[in-house]
Amino acid sequence: MPTATPDVHQILWGVPVTCYAFNHDNTKVAVSADSIDVQIWARRNGAWEVESVLSQHDKLVTGVDWSAATNMIVSVSQDLNAYVWQHELSTGNWKHAMVALRTNRAATCVKWSPLGNKFAAGTGAKSICICYYDESQDLWKASHNKKHITSTVLSVDWHPDNVLIACGAADMKTRVLSAYIKSIDPKSGNPVWGDKLPLDQLCAEYKSNGWVHGVAFSPSGASVAWVAHDSTLNVSTSKDSFVTVKTGNLPLLSLLFISEDRIVAAGHDCVPYLFERRASSWELVNKLDQGPKRSVAANSAMLKFKQMDSRAQANADTELNSYHQNTITHIRPYAGAATNITHFVTGGVDGKLVVWEL
Amino acid sequence: MSNTLKTYIAAVRATLTAAMCLENFASQHVERHNKPEVEARATPEVLLAPVVISRNENEKVLIEGSINSVRVSIKIKQADEIERILCHKFTRFMMMRAENFVILRRKPVEGYDISFLITNFHTEQMYKHKLVDFIIQFMEEVDKEISEMKISLNARARIVAESVWRNDLAGRFRFG
Repeated sequence: MPTATPDVHQILWGVPVTCYAFNHDNTKVAVSADSIDVQIWARRNGAWEVESVLSQHDKLVTGVDWSAATNMIVSVSQDLNAYVWQHELSTGNWKHAMVALRTNRAATCVKWSPLGNKFAAGTGAKSICICYYDESQDLWKASHNKKHITSTVLSVDWHPDNVLIACGAADMKTRVLSAYIKSIDPKSGNPVWGDKLPLDQLCAEYKSNGWVHGVAFSPSGASVAWVAHDSTLNVSTSKDSFVTVKTGNLPLLSLLFISEDRIVAAGHDCVPYLFERRASSWELVNKLDQGPKRSVAANSAMLKFKQMDSRAQANADTELNSYHQNTITHIRPYAGAATNITHFVTGGVDGKLVVWEL
Repeated sequence: MSNTLKTYIAAVRATLTAAMCLENFASQHVERHNKPEVEARATPEVLLAPVVISRNENEKVLIEGSINSVRVSIKIKQADEIERILCHKFTRFMMMRAENFVILRRKPVEGYDISFLITNFHTEQMYKHKLVDFIIQFMEEVDKEISEMKISLNARARIVAESVWRNDLAGRFRFG
């Protein structure tokens, strides 16, 4: 349980953090502030400032990812495009390269592969675009995973072996698919998910009773977990069966494996929850947000009558008793090795990025 | 009668809180469009099953949800003809000013008196729990308002009738 109070960064006011990605040493963060631009915020003297603005998109930027391996940023948008941005050390500018996703519907999410040589973009065209850089033509190319998906893709995550991806879609199914690109990837097989893995091979498909908002692979790749709109967290270690944890709370939107046996997930409840593996099943252990300590106990009576007088409001508590005041949309790792993450960061609709210590 | 009101309101509040879990969803049907799916109804898999919560056959609430929008329709209790007219005028007054109201729909859903349309853009700008509080408060107060209007209407009618009668009596039955 977190003993330290979390670090709250209110970087946006009145606008949600649609998506965000920190760079490898957490000095900068690329943010889409519910806008068509990607803003790069850098921490200067303890405060966050906008360092650069990447504007090429025409519509809302729905996904941003920053590769720790290659320092490249990829952004996808509802304008059916994706751009890869590279930082030029000499000028300090970000140079963009358009990626022809060849899709006819909005892109919804994007993730760099662990090695940073490919990225997967989910789209509303019921497909996932696996994009890679073709050296001979100096272009980013896209191949499509579309045989098995039957609705808008809501989330993607990569397996640590750089070949498999898991995706959650609005048809209430989670799938593990192969994103093998012949020209880039070495031939590989996987003990859990299958031996023959050509592109778009369906390795596993799991059904839930709600739209699948978030998927994640465990650090070793042996388990895949997803959260669905029916307020459940599900974990699977094999192709056929999975364990369901029903929470009595509002649906979760995003999850993160902080170790092989512990998951942190958050969503419409505005607080992160911790789940742990117990023998062969999982259970909800605790919510990690006990609320900021309110020191207004002495003044609350006076405050109440003041509110009644000036605002005709008998009830003074508009704020929620948690650090986030609105839905948490994404959870990402902040510090620590993949098998033992010590800090994670949550971004929400209230414009806050909160760093939590475990 | 008021003990059913509490459970009715609690059921509506719980359903609304769950239905207001919305997120941005670009249209799967038309490229570059972003519409409230509960109104467009083009993609069946993103629509939730509609829920009707009724207190009795005259008062009920229909909640239709989807991935990026929720439509709440309320049928207000109207016991007699006067209440029906008052309710109609009251809701018409509000619906004509739906733009300023933000979450109000210009036309009620068939079979109901007033409808709200809440989209993910509204939940991004406003607190979800306060939106739910607002709708619940509206439901509780609209009955009170219509009763008050009816009482004042009756009182006014009585005063008018009395004064007409009095003038008429004075006019007709005066001798000389």
